[in-house]
Amino acid sequence: MTHLLEVIDIAKHYPAGKGAVKAVDGVSFTLERGETLALVGESGCGKSTTARLVLRLIELSGGTVRFNGEDITALSPAELRRFRRKAQIIFQDPYASLNPRLRVGDTIMEPMEVHGIGTPAERRARMEELLGLVGLAPYHAQRYPHEFSGGQRQRIGIARALAVQPELVVCDEPVSALDVSIQAQVVNLLKDLQARFGLSFLFIAHDLAVVKHMADRVAVMYLGRIVEVAEKNALFDNPRHPYTRALLAAIPHPDPGRRGHVTPLGGDLPSPLNPPPGCHFHTRCPFATEICRKDDPVPTGGAHSVTCHHADTLPPMGAAYQGHISETAVRRLALYAEASAARAGAE
Amino acid sequence: MSATVAAPRRPSALRMMLRDTGAAVSLVFVVLIVLAAIFAPFLAPKDPYETDLMAIMQPPSAEYWFGTDGQGRDLFARTLYGLQVTLFMGLASLIVGGVIGAVVGFLAAYYRRLDGLLMRLMDILLSFPAILFGLALAAIFGPGLTSVIFALSIATIPLMARIVRGAAVVVMGLDYIEAARAIGMKDARLILRHLAPNCLSPIFVFATLRLGQVILLGSALSFLGLGAQPPVAELGAMASQGRNFLFIAPHISVIPSVAIFLVVLAFNVLGDALRDALDPRLRI
Repeated sequence: MTHLLEVIDIAKHYPAGKGAVKAVDGVSFTLERGETLALVGESGCGKSTTARLVLRLIELSGGTVRFNGEDITALSPAELRRFRRKAQIIFQDPYASLNPRLRVGDTIMEPMEVHGIGTPAERRARMEELLGLVGLAPYHAQRYPHEFSGGQRQRIGIARALAVQPELVVCDEPVSALDVSIQAQVVNLLKDLQARFGLSFLFIAHDLAVVKHMADRVAVMYLGRIVEVAEKNALFDNPRHPYTRALLAAIPHPDPGRRGHVTPLGGDLPSPLNPPPGCHFHTRCPFATEICRKDDPVPTGGAHSVTCHHADTLPPMGAAYQGHISETAVRRLALYAEASAARAGAE
Repeated sequence: MSATVAAPRRPSALRMMLRDTGAAVSLVFVVLIVLAAIFAPFLAPKDPYETDLMAIMQPPSAEYWFGTDGQGRDLFARTLYGLQVTLFMGLASLIVGGVIGAVVGFLAAYYRRLDGLLMRLMDILLSFPAILFGLALAAIFGPGLTSVIFALSIATIPLMARIVRGAAVVVMGLDYIEAARAIGMKDARLILRHLAPNCLSPIFVFATLRLGQVILLGSALSFLGLGAQPPVAELGAMASQGRNFLFIAPHISVIPSVAIFLVVLAFNVLGDALRDALDPRLRI
């Protein structure tokens, strides 16, 4: 059985003066059916660009994306439209992602119209069903987006994405613009819908609590490359790349006494216009040696893949951070679980 | 006109505008002159082309409300018919130039590789004064209303293209456009259903302001003798015909000039108010 999504060495370079900004530079990963792969990293590391490359919303500078074994980088415009029926996207900003001049019902029915799914009556019935699925009511169809809250708008965006019954949904930071209590509802809604329709999620996030709740596997990106990919618990319990450790350590901790021995990262993210030679991370890595400044590391380690010269020789992570995520994050996870249970109880 | 078109979408914009006294007055005035122009044949007490050599250059009186001109034609009737011609000229050139300009602007914003070429062409058009187009077209096709309408249309194209491109580029950056692309719809549907409707506010504001400018320019061209030809009643041409009698019977020139002034002023005030009403940042 082929992977649902197989991304091989994709790149996006934006020409800038003499050089090029390497927003995404050789990213590879796979996504299985029904799985959630989270893509995490700091701002500007190329997460969103990767998401858009996978959907071919922007053209690739190199590499291959296979969807159900089919190379989508070679699709004709007509074939690309068929692919769009199978792969959809949910956006970060619920205020910018809905056309303010279309009624919500029309927004949700539009994907079906474009792909010629069903008769007008069937589309309307399906739209009302979708509104119900995301926790809204059929009478909401007559309203305009400005009459809804951020969380409700995000639900509308989800309904639009599901209208064509996609197999893959790219979630580009779907909850980072929402406040925490609403986040819990939306995250759980996504999980419910995934279980119900067997969706696969490529889940972009920078919030590790959300990632821990949602993901099956996690890929950590730094400066246009993936530095570590692992099953969720393996990554949180035993982060192997120094950058992953720094990310986990950077989660604010309410008890300063329990601060571990992980040195916070110094310096800024280097410019992707002129990335450092060798390992991209060496300018900020506390463990960097001569080889890191010269040679690009290659991914090693199979299922828990890490791209670091010293992956096998690094000291174990400080005990304070062993398997730890901060108490605020733990409280939020509990909140998510509670909301999930309440939802299950209500049904 | 424009305001009432925009109103159903944003009921609050019309209300915002009416809160401003100047805007309310100009809106009422614009509606009145449009109605007066449309119903000129029913409102005019006399035939605007009927000369009466026994009553030339009469000052305003109970019989001739606006007086008569050098051929003894009733100026009130001629002003009503003149409004009709002048407004038609303005609207026709605004619609022709505005539609072409809007298409250019949307294409430039949507197909970025056409952007440079299209907008440089617009810059070239922009570098010619409208009066020059009027002269050139009058030289080629002969003076007349059609030449003026074409000249003003051409002069409006680059202005509208710039406004539309500017608005559309902003909208193109929003997520719902990307969502529309992710759905896989065709370009035409995306532009007509998602891009264009969200660029309407600046288009309406510009169209209203431009209508005033176009009327003024058109009247100027007619005044110069390049536009409407005698005996057609057109406000600019009427002002021109009266200039020989400026010291004997100033009302012949002054009345059509004041009519032009009021029409242009009304559209300008209306355009400004529309901009304030449609710009949420200015909402208090």
